[in-house]
Amino acid sequence: MVLKIFFPQCCNRADSGLLVGRWISGHDSAVVLAVIHYPFIPGQVKQYVQQVSAKSGVELSVLGSWSLPKEGQEGMESFLRDLSTIFPQQRWLQIHREIGKTGFTCEVLNRDQSKTTFANMLLLVQMFQTVATSQPLFFMDRYDDGPLKSTHWQSEGREASIIVELLKQASVPLCLLISWLLSIWTWICNIRIFSLYPLRWLSSKLSTCVQLSYKTEHMRTLSSAKPAAGHTQFMRKANILVSFLVDVALGMLLISWLYRDNHIAMLANTLVPAADHVAKELDELLQWLMGAPAGLKMNRALDQVLGRFFLYHIHLWISYIHLMSPFIEGILWYGGLSACLGLTFALSLLSDMVALLTFHIYCFYVYGARLYCLKIYGLSSLWRLFRGKKWNVLRQRVDSCSYDLDQLFIGTLLFTVLLFLLPTTALYYLVFTLLRLVVVLFQGVLHLSVDFINSFPLFAVGLRIFRPYRLAEGVKFRVLCEEPGTALHLLMEINPLKFSTVVQMYRTPTYSCYPKDSWAALVKKLFVGELIYPWRHKTIKTE
Amino acid sequence: MSVVRVMGPDSAPGPAVPWRKVLWERQPFPDNYVDQRFLEELRRNEGIRQYRYWAVVKEAGFVGQQLSCVAIFITLWLYMEQGLLSPERLLLTSLVCALLGYGLHQALTSQMESGCELRTRLADLQSATIFLSFTFGFSPVLKTLTESVSTDTVYAMSAVMLLAHLVSFPYAHPSTPGSLSLNAALFASVCLASRLPGALHTFAMLSCALLVFAMWPCLLQRLRENAPSQFTGLCVGVCIGGVGGLGSQSPGGAVLLALALGSVTLLCPLLLVMLQRHKDNIQGPWDEAEIHEDISHFLH
Repeated sequence: MVLKIFFPQCCNRADSGLLVGRWISGHDSAVVLAVIHYPFIPGQVKQYVQQVSAKSGVELSVLGSWSLPKEGQEGMESFLRDLSTIFPQQRWLQIHREIGKTGFTCEVLNRDQSKTTFANMLLLVQMFQTVATSQPLFFMDRYDDGPLKSTHWQSEGREASIIVELLKQASVPLCLLISWLLSIWTWICNIRIFSLYPLRWLSSKLSTCVQLSYKTEHMRTLSSAKPAAGHTQFMRKANILVSFLVDVALGMLLISWLYRDNHIAMLANTLVPAADHVAKELDELLQWLMGAPAGLKMNRALDQVLGRFFLYHIHLWISYIHLMSPFIEGILWYGGLSACLGLTFALSLLSDMVALLTFHIYCFYVYGARLYCLKIYGLSSLWRLFRGKKWNVLRQRVDSCSYDLDQLFIGTLLFTVLLFLLPTTALYYLVFTLLRLVVVLFQGVLHLSVDFINSFPLFAVGLRIFRPYRLAEGVKFRVLCEEPGTALHLLMEINPLKFSTVVQMYRTPTYSCYPKDSWAALVKKLFVGELIYPWRHKTIKTE
Repeated sequence: MSVVRVMGPDSAPGPAVPWRKVLWERQPFPDNYVDQRFLEELRRNEGIRQYRYWAVVKEAGFVGQQLSCVAIFITLWLYMEQGLLSPERLLLTSLVCALLGYGLHQALTSQMESGCELRTRLADLQSATIFLSFTFGFSPVLKTLTESVSTDTVYAMSAVMLLAHLVSFPYAHPSTPGSLSLNAALFASVCLASRLPGALHTFAMLSCALLVFAMWPCLLQRLRENAPSQFTGLCVGVCIGGVGGLGSQSPGGAVLLALALGSVTLLCPLLLVMLQRHKDNIQGPWDEAEIHEDISHFLH
């Protein structure tokens, strides 16, 4: 019969006394929670143990005796054996250690020979549960002035910090303030005028508005009145708070850089020439396309039409930019102020501004893609007509079909026309798709970094670095003493989580931005001419 | 039941019962026993047709005729390209031919189906209007289609398309236009027509192509049904016309065409008839069952 005893490390050096703890039923195990020192009165000990049992709901009892004989304390052995008669137990543990040796000697006195059942896997869980629920036992200390003095794993002091205590005191009025502000903000957002369809659609597309709503959600979680229900909730709240603080700190850093040395005026002065430069480059590109680009065979008439159409758009755009140029500095100044809400906010504002500034590229891409898509669709349908087949919509397959003479005639003419105009359209489509992809890539990088700042669990990582025992994955045992004749002495240590598991488990769920299609699907969409919106935004998960 | 002594393959006298070709009964023969009635149900060359040479030549004349049609079309194109034929004259001729052909077509049809004549005439007029307006409207676009494509590519594409037209032409019933053949011919004519100097040339060429590839087979179908002897004469006439027309432009082409016609109409039927005696089809009870729907059961 193997007896497992869980013994707190602090009690290794405790004075001799009685062991108080709990037998875990069904296993041959005991958890020692505290050592009550001499001198004591047995009646008081029994009373105290019963009190604590009632308060904590855990079945505590006196397990046995612990002896660490110091100088001048001989004759303990007989005293200890007599103790077993005072406390009627089924089993009585006697653990004994000599100063200078690491090994324990352990004896068990069994009153009756009851059979023990098999051990099962929940031993460690029950052990930890016992320790966690026996809170009231740890309020008493050996430095107390009461009739009983005990040593337990919290006797060397509990971990606390003044800052945390101060924050806890200050958090209550702060939470009230934040929830009041949030209610005003929600009331403003729910005004009817903002629920009109165009505004609503626009606000779902602009990433700034999405970020705003996201941060509002977070604030609401943080400032809720009831405390965190479980470990996950607590970690999530803590992560949100720390991320938010880091975000605001980075934003403040950005502001301090922007508003110093007149950087804003510099930015505004480079913006309009940059837009002009982009437009000029596009102009040159179109002129090149209207010629014979790369020696490809373009249909001259269609080429001219398309090129002139896009050139006209560019001129419109340039005049619009020039119209806006006096206001740009003001816009930048006020926009930069928004970084005080966080770096993520500034980044999403930047992404929106890039989207607005490259709106003409988006328009060109849509025109080119639609034209190309129409052409591909027409060509595929007419190719079926060429072979004398037809698409059966009901059966979703290609069937043979007997066409009339005029259908065949007109179909063939159109097929020829579309086929010979294909290279021209395809080239324009290719050029504008590439431009659009560059812009989308840039926006994607911005969104990914915003997402990263939002979802990275800084608090959990910090906790893992500085207090690794709070995030445990399991326990590991190390052999301390394996001498024959003494009990096997193992040291149990908490096995902390790996960093990757920490990040994965405690990530804040965000409206994470990840590619919607696999590479194959994306290429196929590009080939056919479907409009691509490669980044998908998940809706915020509500729990 | 009489008892027959059956000899097995090893010349030993077999048992008294005859062997039956059944699987569900245990018989006193070994599994690989072969009866003397082996392969009794084999039938050789069952549905074979006996071809007669001149009949096949007459049918093959139709193929030659189509080949000559294509040659005539190419001749007209060559004339237009060299400026020897003006588009107005071609248009006028095509119009006249179309009217004549339409009249002939109606004359041959009215023997069988009469009634609703006005409706079909209107429908035909509508089709004709659609053709002409569409072609006229598209001819400037069609003219510039192959501007940037090199001449060799255009010739190669047209040749391939015309070959496809000849191969996939529905020789059995040319009245219902085969999609692939008509489309290939029209594609080739668009490619060739876009090489001509003006938009009117393109329009004239396309109208001519429509006439030759879309309307002419309908007329031929009617002729074949109603006046077979005249049909044969017409085929011969078209062949001669094709060779002659091509000869006026390039003698080498004419020689090639004549050779092709000769081999298609005279040589290939000879080969077909001669090779018939090497035919060896076997049919037997191992063939897949074919269901011949006989609905006469339901009519009684």
